[in-house]
Amino acid sequence: MTQGLLVLWIVSSLAIVFETRTYRLIIYFSIFSLITSVAYFLLGSPDVAMAEAAIAAFASIFFIICIEKYYSRKENVEKDSAKGESLARKAVKAVPALVLCVGLFFLVIYFIPGIEPSHYLKHLYLQRFMTDVGGENAVTAIYLGYRVYDTLFEALILVIAVVAVTHMSYSEKTQVADGSHSEIETSRVAALSLRIICPIIVAFGAYLIINGHISAGGGFQGGLALATFFICRYMVYDIYDISVKNVLQWEEFIFAIIIVVTAIAVFLGAATYMPAAIVPIYQSVYLIIMNLLIGLKVACAFFVLFYRYITIERE
Amino acid sequence: MGIFNTENLEIFSLALFFISFFGIITSKNMIKSIIFVMLIQTAVIMFWLKLGREDTATPIPPIIYDPALLDYMERIADPLPQALTLTAIIIGFSVVAVIITMFNALYRLHGTADWKKLEEVEGD
Repeated sequence: MTQGLLVLWIVSSLAIVFETRTYRLIIYFSIFSLITSVAYFLLGSPDVAMAEAAIAAFASIFFIICIEKYYSRKENVEKDSAKGESLARKAVKAVPALVLCVGLFFLVIYFIPGIEPSHYLKHLYLQRFMTDVGGENAVTAIYLGYRVYDTLFEALILVIAVVAVTHMSYSEKTQVADGSHSEIETSRVAALSLRIICPIIVAFGAYLIINGHISAGGGFQGGLALATFFICRYMVYDIYDISVKNVLQWEEFIFAIIIVVTAIAVFLGAATYMPAAIVPIYQSVYLIIMNLLIGLKVACAFFVLFYRYITIERE
Repeated sequence: MGIFNTENLEIFSLALFFISFFGIITSKNMIKSIIFVMLIQTAVIMFWLKLGREDTATPIPPIIYDPALLDYMERIADPLPQALTLTAIIIGFSVVAVIITMFNALYRLHGTADWKKLEEVEGD
């Protein structure tokens, strides 16, 4: 099974190289990401697999919105400048790049057998994380315990990206949706089924967040699942009554709370003066609160991104 | 089919890296370039996760519900690359979101998604 997956993995990436139609590019990219997610799972990392699957779904949605709003559906990718060129001429043009890439590939392959990774840190973390940070998921223990500052800066970069998208996509002609921005009427069947699915999605996201420290999942994955709820809500009701400014402010507020909680946890975290019976409870509460805050922040960020992409008007 | 094995995943991720590199330097369209930026990130993450494997058998996820599991230390996957790639995936996506917005702004300004045509338009 893994052999077929690997073949499909390389074939789908090659298909993206040779494809010239825009919509098919996105479909091949989705297939590629799905296979990547399965491969991550086979490598023993369910957290990364979940994050990759959710992120790929969001990326495909954003690409499709972007193409639909701006780039015409009928337009082909390489139609513009390669109009008069024959296939042979295009192939000859790509030869230097091909030689460069293949040469570099074999050069690196030649040196690869020399790499022998050290597993010292893995043993260290796996033996200590249950007493140091708590919980049962070593991945959560690392990104909320040992490497919590990395998580802080990642959250900061997400805030900056959302602010950048909000400001760069603004123009005089940007119209805020008033309930009549959809060209096609929502199908009643789709609306009904989404209405049934929505509570399940919210429950799934909450489950991922709250169980993040004892099983696979966590703040990022649960937050992405919660953000999916907003997209479903948009498709069901077709009306937007939530102000994007408020959500952006909420996101920044939650980010500030994350910093405060981390600072408090650093001072409490020595835990040497705590009674031994309280320490596991304190650790679980800290992990759940941090996962919850990160989940809400990611959900707010992706909601703002989705909303901005939806409300950009086509000229 | 001997070469198509998860043992050779390092070679495959390197192959993907150079396929994406080839795509970035030859693609004429901006949307294609953005997709290849995401692909190159995937190749790096896959390479990193593969390096965390100690044993040839399928790894156990690093969720230790029972301390007795630590006896099979060789079979447990390395949690450090996983935690760091989680943040890397989110950061990569935020970068891509900004790139898509920049593409939208460029397309609105110049009306083209072609690198060559953009050079001509900006040269005037």
